[in-house]
Amino acid sequence: MRSATPRSGEPRLRLVFPSETSFLGLVRDVSRKMAEGAGFDASTASQIALAVDEASTNVLEHAYHGAPDRLVEIRYRDDGLDFEVDVCDAGDRVDPRDVPKVDLRQYANERRTGGLGVHLMGKIMDRVTFRRSRGRNVCCLVKRRPSPMAAS
Amino acid sequence: MSELLVETRQVEEITLIYPRGYINAHTVRLFEGEIQKALQQNRFKIVVNCAGLAYIASAGLGAIMGAIEEIRGNGGDLRLSELNETVRNIFEILGFNHLYRIFPSEVEAIMSFRGEGTAA
Repeated sequence: MRSATPRSGEPRLRLVFPSETSFLGLVRDVSRKMAEGAGFDASTASQIALAVDEASTNVLEHAYHGAPDRLVEIRYRDDGLDFEVDVCDAGDRVDPRDVPKVDLRQYANERRTGGLGVHLMGKIMDRVTFRRSRGRNVCCLVKRRPSPMAAS
Repeated sequence: MSELLVETRQVEEITLIYPRGYINAHTVRLFEGEIQKALQQNRFKIVVNCAGLAYIASAGLGAIMGAIEEIRGNGGDLRLSELNETVRNIFEILGFNHLYRIFPSEVEAIMSFRGEGTAA
C-alpha cells in the first residue's frame, strides 16, 4: 500500500492486493477510511466502501475466475470536486454494462442473483464507467464530494 | 479474526438466524449454509436478526434471493429484524424493503408468523 502527498491528478493512495476474497475486508476498511477522509459522512462512506467491495468482487469472480494468484490494484483519487476510485485488473475483458438491468421481482421469481453488485454500484455512486486500457480492465467509481455549503 | 459468525436457534416452528459481522463474497457461504440447513430440515419460517450485522454486500442479498422462492413455495417466509442504518440503507437502495418484511424487533418478526396460523 503506498500513500504520499499526491501531485495533481495522481492517486492519493494505491492498494494492491492478491485476488483472494479474504482481502475484501481490507478493501472495505481502507475504502471507508479514504471516503471519510474525503469528507463523506459515515453512512455514505460505508456505501462507497460497499461499491468498491462489489467492483473488487466482480474482478475476482469474472476477470480472474477465482484464481488466487493474480493482483488487483485500487487507486484512490480526490481532486477536490470528485472522489474517484479505480479498480484495475489484468484479467479477461469484462464489461458489466452487458449485465441486464435488474428487475428485483423478476430476480426473486427466477432465483437469479447475478448482476446485483453492478446494480448496487450504480445506485450508490454518481458515475460508474468501465474501460479497457493497456490490457487491463479499469472500473472507475466516482462520487461527488459533499459541498462545504451543504454540510454547514 | 473471523469476519462473520452465524448462530441459529429455534423458537417453536420458527428458525432464528443471527449473523454477526460482515457478509461479503468471502463469508457468504457460512450465512447461506445456515439458511440451507433450515430448508433441509423443512423449516420454512425464518427470521434473520440483523442486530449484529454490520454490513451486507450483494453476495449476501443474493443468498436470500436464491432461497426465497423455495421458502415461500413451502408456505413459509424469510423476515428480517433489527437492521442497522447501514444495512437498512442498502436494502432500501435495492428495493429489498418492498420484497421482504422488515421488523424493528425480533419479537415483532416472530409474532408476525404467529398471527398467520399455519400458513405464513
